[in-house]
This record gives sequence, structure tokens and C-alpha cells, in this order.
Amino acid sequence: MDAKKSEVLQGTLDLMILKTLQTLGPLHGFGIARRIEQVSRDVLQLNEGTVYTSLLRLQQQGWIAAEWGTSENNRKAKFYSITKRGLKQLELETENWERISGVIGRVLRLEEEK
Amino acid sequence: MGARRGSRVRAFAAKLRGFLSGHKRDNEFENEIQEHLQSLGEKFVAQGMSREEAAAAARRQFGNTTLLQEDRRELQTLPAIESLWQDLRFAVRVLRKSPGFTTVAVLTLALGIGANTAIFSLVNGVLLRPLPYRNPDRLAIVWEKSRDGSRDNVGYATYLDWKAQNKSFEQLAIYSSWQPVLQVGEPEQLNGLRVTSNYFRTLGIHPEIGRDFLPEEDSPNTNKVVMLSHSLWQRKFSSDPHIVGKTIDMNATQYIVAGVLPASYQSLMTQDPRGGAVEIWRVLGYDVSQPWACRTCHHLVAIGRLRNGVSIAQANTEMDTISAALTKAYPKEYDDAGVILTPIREQLLGPASTPLYLLLGAVSFVLLVACANLANLLLARATNREREVAVRTALGATRARVIRQLLVENCLLSLLGAAAGLIPAQWLPKVLAVIGASDLPRLDQVRLDWRVLFFTIGIALLTVIVATLAPSYRLSKTELHDCLQEGARSSGNVVGGRLRGLLIVSEVALSLTLLISAGLLLRSLNRLLQVSPGFDPANVLSMQTSVLGQRFNDNQAVRQYFSSAVERLRALPGVQAAAAASQIPLAGNIDRYGFHAEGKIHANPEEDPSAERYCITPGFLETMRIPLLRGRDISPADTATAPQVLLISETTARRMWPGEDPIGKRVKVGDMDKPWWTVVGITGDVHHVGLDAQPDMQMYVPHQQWAFPDGLMIFVIRTAGKPAAISSAAQQAIHSIDPTQPISRIAALANYVGLSVQDRRFALILIGAFAVIALALSLVGIYGVTAYSVAQRTREIGIRAALGAQRPELFGLLLRQGMLQVLYGVVAGVLASVAFTRFLASLLFDVQPTDPLTFAGVVLLLVTVAAAACLIPARRAMRVDPLVALRYE
Repeated sequence: MDAKKSEVLQGTLDLMILKTLQTLGPLHGFGIARRIEQVSRDVLQLNEGTVYTSLLRLQQQGWIAAEWGTSENNRKAKFYSITKRGLKQLELETENWERISGVIGRVLRLEEEK
Repeated sequence: MGARRGSRVRAFAAKLRGFLSGHKRDNEFENEIQEHLQSLGEKFVAQGMSREEAAAAARRQFGNTTLLQEDRRELQTLPAIESLWQDLRFAVRVLRKSPGFTTVAVLTLALGIGANTAIFSLVNGVLLRPLPYRNPDRLAIVWEKSRDGSRDNVGYATYLDWKAQNKSFEQLAIYSSWQPVLQVGEPEQLNGLRVTSNYFRTLGIHPEIGRDFLPEEDSPNTNKVVMLSHSLWQRKFSSDPHIVGKTIDMNATQYIVAGVLPASYQSLMTQDPRGGAVEIWRVLGYDVSQPWACRTCHHLVAIGRLRNGVSIAQANTEMDTISAALTKAYPKEYDDAGVILTPIREQLLGPASTPLYLLLGAVSFVLLVACANLANLLLARATNREREVAVRTALGATRARVIRQLLVENCLLSLLGAAAGLIPAQWLPKVLAVIGASDLPRLDQVRLDWRVLFFTIGIALLTVIVATLAPSYRLSKTELHDCLQEGARSSGNVVGGRLRGLLIVSEVALSLTLLISAGLLLRSLNRLLQVSPGFDPANVLSMQTSVLGQRFNDNQAVRQYFSSAVERLRALPGVQAAAAASQIPLAGNIDRYGFHAEGKIHANPEEDPSAERYCITPGFLETMRIPLLRGRDISPADTATAPQVLLISETTARRMWPGEDPIGKRVKVGDMDKPWWTVVGITGDVHHVGLDAQPDMQMYVPHQQWAFPDGLMIFVIRTAGKPAAISSAAQQAIHSIDPTQPISRIAALANYVGLSVQDRRFALILIGAFAVIALALSLVGIYGVTAYSVAQRTREIGIRAALGAQRPELFGLLLRQGMLQVLYGVVAGVLASVAFTRFLASLLFDVQPTDPLTFAGVVLLLVTVAAAACLIPARRAMRVDPLVALRYE
């Protein structure tokens, strides 16, 4: 059902946000959305609002921290940065992702060979 | 797993923070979103869109902002509490919208909760509060056991042996009552105790200022020292901080103040229940050589503190052994071998606990009736709210959510009821003072405290849970579809109707049980007040006085004083007769002497019976109107030098000389070494202890002839008019002989009769009040249910009437249902009463707990008023025009 689908999506989104923050350093929500847009190159159609849901969840887990600051165009904005625990989590999730995608890849290849 | 729990805790903490910071968070988040939308819009404008297009595209790409806020709230706050708050606000709105229902419900609750809180605060103050001693559960009263198994006081010599030989008690002390006259300002008779020097150490009380008694002070011919209560120190010595070491005048002697006890200590020890609180303590100062220190001088009460680890039973066994050895050593001095140990709590509070727990039981019935009534109200309301609930359910409310809403609403109701119910508890001490319950110990300590509040809130919530069960069950049966149809009839009528019928049956049964209990108590009190006390208490004033001063060391002076005081009283206008006596009936006096009839004396005279002794001046029988059955009365001619004579009561004559003529028989009273007394007359019996107790043996001896004439005497004055009118003239007459003599306990004899039945009156008033409350609640319930069912059947009635049904038939139809429930309730109530009224047995007098007359009368009363409650709505339905009824709905 709907909920399940979005949960998978959210999980992936969480991972993408963590990775973005690790690579680019502190960033506001708009910046994160632009980066994901740029990287996914229209493959992922995404309501940018969901970025914020994801950010809230990540904050609650203590994986990212938020701080008020000033953006490039002199606007007040909330900047998010990855925490130590977030880095650890990213490592864990990355491994997990790679293992699972590897397994799925193998399974799909086997199906083709048949 | 630990990690997951950790993350859950973090999430909860974040939610709590979010919940507490509320709107600020909302705004911040909104700003962040707006910033994002604006940046996005600017980006689109830069790509060449118009402002409007850009804004629309930005919103499209961003998604639903409201939903996002909701998500945030879900994540960052506590939705349960938020919705609880919503429920609460909704409940307030709903209750305000139906003020009639709210008022009736809150009143019902206030009555049920208020009555229960009041009685609980009584039980709490009197029974549950700790006693004012250190480790009170280690304290016990030690009695000598009489031949008939009753408890007896001890003599001083016995106490000394007990104290020396026992190993069970850490401390063993004794006390006896003492009523000194304090000559500070207006002479005042105080209630006091004479105690051994270790008395306060035994109880575990330390003086607030000053010092405890010293062992060396506890002997004759030493300084006489006293301890003051905090209240006496305040009242008579204006809290003088330098009181310790000062001397005060009492009984024409000087006493040195050793100390003042703390205000928190209020003495509960008194041998006279009508004497008021003990305010002064004096060292006993006995010596075994004194004549009143003998083994048979049973006038002291022993109290001991058990050593740690020694049980009451162990101590009792040891004391029995000691007592057996003493009986062997002094066979003529003891009646029976053995002691009785009574824990202090039982001794002080035992007599009060039975009626109090009875009241608590009775008042819980009121609460049950209130519960049933509330459930009934809620049930009726639930039926009306079926559609509201159906709509909410259709809009996605879960059943749990609906029931929670009901619970919140009812909790609010019950807390309102509880608040209103605290009012009677606040007033209770005043009310009790009015209806006269001063026999209860520690009544002055009845007040609201945390225990009472806790109890009140507890029963309030309990009431709600019980009362909400029925409507919740009812609502959970609601069929959505049926309810939402326009003009649909209520669907759950059968379930609801049956439940409400059951509630009515139980209300009637509970009320009937209370009514029958009240009826039994009323009949008992009636019967009791019909008992003739053996004297005529109407228009008799009594006042107590005692002689003090050096000049009264002469016996003849004491006799002279009282006889001339009586003369002066007789001379007053409006006085018909006057006399004085060492004790009067029903006033709580206890004075008994061994009655040793010549030729019937046991080998051990201690085994002879005893009789109540009245030491009287001539004219006592006439003043009291105690009949003289045979022989002659005591006359002024029976002087100290004349032959000793006495009067005996009918019961004494019958017991001592069955089938013989007692006149002329000889008796020794108390002391076997004193001369014989000759019986010259037989009087009627008098109820000395209480109207409910069989009169015991009594004798009357002339004050002129008693070897040590009593110095404490009670005047009885029979007046033509109201006894109170003569009071000040009588006091002046007594003071005209000697103004230094104190006068106390000025009371009409009728008052003492009233006091002797006051515990029964107290129980009757309270249980009667509960019964009335329960009945009123039940009637409201019956009325409500009948009115409701009549309203539901208006259409049916209209059809029946249109088809030609006669009025009486319709009337019967409407009454039948209501009255059937009442009758079931009556049957259940009669059965419950048969089961429960036996607990009342101790409060009944001359009435069986299953007295058929009371049962029949109360049932008749209940059925009549219940029928009236059914009749009113039924009559209203009869007046309805059939046409109107058919168009109804």
C-alpha cells in the first residue's frame, strides 16, 4: 500500500540526504533539494516537501543537527549538518544498501540466465 | 535492542520538547517552508517564467504544505495529549450545552461522594490517624481478670509485684482518675490523672518544656509535682514560658509545675466518658503501707509497653503465671487467677470502630445508588447521542476514541461532583457537634487531609468508571447505518431498556436496605426511650461540687456542709425537693462496693457480689422520684451515732434474699472489719449504666453514717419550672455557705438520659439521612426511566387510544413496566436486608434484625412513593391528544 511505498522511498531519501551532507557540509533544505535534483537528473520525481519530513526524522534520531544561519543571498535559513552518530549511521546504511543491491542484482542476473 | 529503545526515548524527548514549545515550532517550520517556496519560485523566474507561473510551479514541486505540518506535528509532538485536550474542551462545551443534565448529574455525584467523604473523614480522624504515642502498637492495658471473665482494675500492691516480676514489659505504669480543683482565678474543677513517675516514658511522650517526673518524687510526703497539658497552660497560665518550677494552688495545696506537654498530645485516657479531656497529671505518690494501696483496692489502671519481640500473647502468658503465684500467696485477696491484656488501640478506639465501620458500609450503599443513577442518566443521554456518535464513527473515529471521549466527559463530571462533595466533609465536625456525637474519641481531629482527598478522588473516578461501563456497552452496540437514517427509531432499545431496568432494580434494592436499617434503628430508639429509667428525670437540675480546704479534714464538717447546702437549696423559691448523692444514674459515674450479706458470705469475701453504692442525704428518693417499695426511707434521724441503716434495690433483694424478707437483714459494705448495716427499705430499680442495660444490684447509704463521708457530691434539685432557670440561684445558695467551693457539671438530668442514648441517635440520624438520600436518588431514577419510556411510547399510546383503548387500560400498561421493576427491587432489597441487618444487632434494642413490622412498613412506604414517581409521567401521557400523539416525530 501507499504507506509502504513511501517508507522505502523515505529510507532512500534519508540515505541520500545523509550522503549529501557528508559530501557538501552544512546545507539548508533548499540546497539539499537542488543537490538531489542535480544528482538524480530527473530520474527521481520528488515532492520537495518530503525532504523536510526526512530532515525532521533525521534530527530526531540525532544523526543531523540544525542551526540558524544566513544563506548565500542573505536570507535567514536553517543549516543542517551531519553529526558523528550520523556518519556512523551513513556508513552502516551504505554497507547495507550495497549488500542488498548486490544481492538483488545477482538475483536479477540469475533470472535472465535461465 | 538497546539501540532501538534509545532511539525511542530520544524520539519521545523530542516530542515532549515539541509539545511544550508548541506554536513557536509551528511558526519556525512554516517560515522554513515559505523560504524554500520563495527560493524555488525565484529559480523558476530566472528560468523565464512569470511570477504567478513560478509560484504555482514551486507549490506543485513542493507538495502539500498542510500535510507536511501535520506530519511534523505527528513527529514532534504528543498527539495523545493534544487530542485529550481537544476531548476536554469538547466535554466542557457539551456539558455547558445541557445544563439540566449536568446539574442533576453533578448533584447526584455530590450527594454520593459527599456522604462518603464525610463518613470517611470521620473514620480517618477517629480510627485511622495514628495514636499520639511512640510505637502505639507496643502499648497494652493490663487488667486483672474477674471471676466472671470481665476486666478489673488493679490494686497498688498487685502492680508493684507485677512490675518487679515481669520480663515482658519495658515499662509498666498505672494511672487513676483525679479531679482536682484549680484555684487560679475562678475555682475550676479539672479532669486529671494521677500517674506513676514512669507514665510518660511508658507512652513515649516528652514534655515540651520542663522535665518529666522523677522516680524519687513518686512517694508520699515529697514535693507534689504536676504536668500541664498544652491547652491548660494556654488557657489558665497564658502560655507563661517560666511556668516550670512555679507553684500553683490546687485543692488547697501547693503543687510544683514540672513541665508542659506538647500541643500535639491530647490525652485519650479517661475513665469517665463525659468528663472531657485530661488536662493535668500528678505523680501518684503511693506507698504500699497506705490503706488504699491494698490488693483489693481495685482503682488503678495498668498500662505497659511491651519489650521488642514480645507478643501480646507471650506477655499474657507470663502475666498469667505471675498472677497465679500471687493468688496462691494471697488467696483471700484475689477473685481469680489471670490477667487480660488489651492492645491500646482496641481499648481506646474499639468501642467506636463498630458503629463507624457500619456507617461506612451504609454510606457505600448511597454511593452505589448514586452510581446506578448516574449510569441511568448517562444511558438515557447515550440514546439521544446515538446519531452524534454514528456521525463521528462515520468520519473515522474509532470506538476506543468515542469511549475515551465519554470517559473524559464523565471524569469532568465526577471531578465537579467530588469538588461539591468536599463541602459536606468540611462541615461535618460542626454538624456532628449539633447532632451530638461527643462520645466518639478524637472527634476534634476530624478534618480534611490528604487521605480524605485521596479517598474522594479515588471514589469519584471509581464512580465514573462504573457509571460509564453501561453506556459504553450500549454505544458499542450502535449500528451505524440504522442511526444515520433520517427519522430512524433508536436501534438499541432492547439492550438499553434491559440495562436500565436492572439499574432501577438495584437502586430500589439498595435504598430499601438502607430504609429498613433506619427503620430498625428508629424503632429501637423508640423502644429504648419508652424504658422507664426508674426515676423521673424531668425538671431536675444536677450540679457537682467537692469540698476542699483544711477545715474539711473533719468528717463532721463535710457532713454539716452538705446538709446545710441542701437546706439552702430547698429554701429557694420554685424548688420542690433537693438532695445530694455521691453518684447519680446515667451520668457515667462508677462506684461499686462489695455486698456481704450476713450468712451468705463466701470463704473468700472477694467472691461476694458487689452493688452500686449511692451515698445520699435524706430526700434523695423523693427528689429523684425513685419509688420506695417496702420499709422506710433514710431520715435525718439516721445520724453518725445512730445504728447504721441502708436501702437496697429490688434486684438486690431478689438476688440476695430470694423468697425472704430482706428488711432487718444485716450487710457489710466493702470493708469486712467495719460494723454491720441493717436493711430498712427496698427501692425500685434504677438504670444506672444505661437504659439498654439490665439494672444491677444497688444500695443507698446515708451520707451521715458513712465512715469517710464523700467529699465529691452531686446535688439534685427538683424544680417546678424549667430546671435551667434555677441554676444561678442554686449556685449562689451553695456559695453562700462557702464561696471557695467549685461547682461543675451543671446539667439537667434529662440531658444525661439523652446522652446515654446518643450513640444510637447518632447512628439513626446518619443512616436515616443516607436512606433518605438513597430514596430520593432512586425516585429520580424511577421517574426518569418511566418518563423516558412514556415519551418513547407516545405514538403507540396515540394509536391505542385512537383504536379505542380505555384510559385505565393505558394507564395500567404504562405503570406495569415501572412498577414491575420496583417490585423486583423490593424482593431483592428484602433479601439483602435479611442478610445485612444482623450487622446492626449491636445497635438494636428490643427489636429483631428481621422485625416483620419494620420490613412491612418500609416496603409499603417505598412502593407508595415509587408508584407516585411512576404515576406522574404516566398521567402526563394520558393527557396527550391522540391526534397529536400520532403526529409526534
